[in-house]
Amino acid sequence: MSRAGVYLIYGLAALALVAIGLFAGRFVLYLTMRVMLLAIFALGYNLLLGRTGLLSFGHGALYAAGAYGLGLFNLHVSHDPLLGLLVGVAFAALIALIIGFFCVRQTEIYFAMLTLAFGMMFFSLIWNLREVTGGDDGLIGISRAPLLGLPIGRDYQFYFLVLACFALAVWVIHRIRGSAFGLVLAGIRENHQRTSFAGIPVKNYRLAAFVVSGAFAGLAGSLATLLESNANPFSAHWSHSAEPVLVSLMGGLQTFSGPLVGSVIFVVLREVIERFTENWMLWFGVILLAIIMGLRGGVMGGLEKRLGRARAARPGGAS
Amino acid sequence: MSEPLLRVENLSKAFGKVVTANGLNFELKAGELTSIIGPNGAGKSTLINVLSGSLSADGGRIFFEGQDITQLPIHRRVQRGLCRSFQVVNVFPHLSVFQNVEIPVLAVARRAHHFFRPVGGEAEVADMVRAVLERVGLAGQAQTPASALSHGDQRLLEVGIALAARPKLLFLDEPTAGMNPVERVDILQNIRRLSASGETTFVIVEHDMDVVFSLSDRVMVLHRGGLICDGPPDHVKGDGQVRECYLGEEVR
Repeated sequence: MSRAGVYLIYGLAALALVAIGLFAGRFVLYLTMRVMLLAIFALGYNLLLGRTGLLSFGHGALYAAGAYGLGLFNLHVSHDPLLGLLVGVAFAALIALIIGFFCVRQTEIYFAMLTLAFGMMFFSLIWNLREVTGGDDGLIGISRAPLLGLPIGRDYQFYFLVLACFALAVWVIHRIRGSAFGLVLAGIRENHQRTSFAGIPVKNYRLAAFVVSGAFAGLAGSLATLLESNANPFSAHWSHSAEPVLVSLMGGLQTFSGPLVGSVIFVVLREVIERFTENWMLWFGVILLAIIMGLRGGVMGGLEKRLGRARAARPGGAS
Repeated sequence: MSEPLLRVENLSKAFGKVVTANGLNFELKAGELTSIIGPNGAGKSTLINVLSGSLSADGGRIFFEGQDITQLPIHRRVQRGLCRSFQVVNVFPHLSVFQNVEIPVLAVARRAHHFFRPVGGEAEVADMVRAVLERVGLAGQAQTPASALSHGDQRLLEVGIALAARPKLLFLDEPTAGMNPVERVDILQNIRRLSASGETTFVIVEHDMDVVFSLSDRVMVLHRGGLICDGPPDHVKGDGQVRECYLGEEVR
């Protein structure tokens, strides 16, 4: 697809998102916010999985770090949402730095298992430190004070904060992928031995990717806490860590837009399927299977391949 | 400044009971094209792995430009100017030829950590990458994915990636393995030219005797983890012990 075509699609998507904010009903508003939150989570996550080639099962903990970071700050220090978001993101990044420090020493399955272990430890901490975290009740009663004088108490107001954060995340992650750092991460995925023989301290770069993806998980978690007015311990559970994996896989690991498209599919599908049946995971599994078997490289990866083939087949297209 | 480029003192390495480096002592001088030969299992690959940092030594010390590098991790040795290429093709398969070379260039230029500036905007880096591609003769295929190159070109790219790190000392592990005769002549001429230009000192680990004797200023012969002969090609050719343990096999 031409560059102009891509910009056109992103422009239209941005317009549609603004239009939803202005005109849509509460249900669509809420659903769109959930899509954007998951997309922030998954886009950041895919910097680690699709780009650096590291499969983490611990990002639920980092999402929860953002959620509880903002929640505790909101309840005990200040209601300012901007400061709260900053605290949430910073706390998630700090936890990512600590967990990552140990995990990036390993690769592949050992890395995945270590992140899983740290994630479960974080979950049990939240579960057991009742006085601080509220245990299984989570944190409740988190308020949405005005942001720089603008009210965000109502959903149609809060929506634009989510949209702004989402746009910022898309832009920043796009920049990172196109940077020297982004290229080095791709090199690590392709051949980490060769990357260290290029003079790159591979572990530090893995750690940096882990922290960046953790910070975005924290942003998603903090925003979700403001949206729901509570922080939920199950957001730290490893089953929640699987969400960005599924979303990235569905959308396409090797594409930038994959996690975006995957998030839309994930949230909308769940909404639709849950209307008809209780065990939505069963049907979701079937659809996931179809996508992975039928479209290798996810929805966007498959689409890209098809478009590329169409262009190559066009007479005079390539000579 | 009589300090050699690389000095190895009493280096040893064993895997269980198999001794692959047995108290090795030698020096490498800057600008001297050296070959390391020896029969299979002589310890050539182990020696390269230990010197470049993939394996740690059991005993002994390695000095690079007079500094002890025995304990340094790979990337620090590369940053100081000690690099290697690999016996099997070891590139970034899904990245373009240009990007393959760009990664080490970014590291050398200390730009690899720039995480917000588009990498395409690093004009200086792009020039350096193009210069490396010119040197190894892959400039015409800059945008081809590395996995789509012919085997010989992948080997050239391999050398290009290693050269892009601007090494002072570069180990080439069987640079002609799996090449056809034409490609072989090409790459040997390349190596000779690059060596003559004086920026990089090459050490070649080889199987192929023709390559070794036509190219080298100095030949070191390894056998069972020990250095049994060391000198100019003619001296090594005439050495009885070398013939016995190595060349004899070839002739037979």
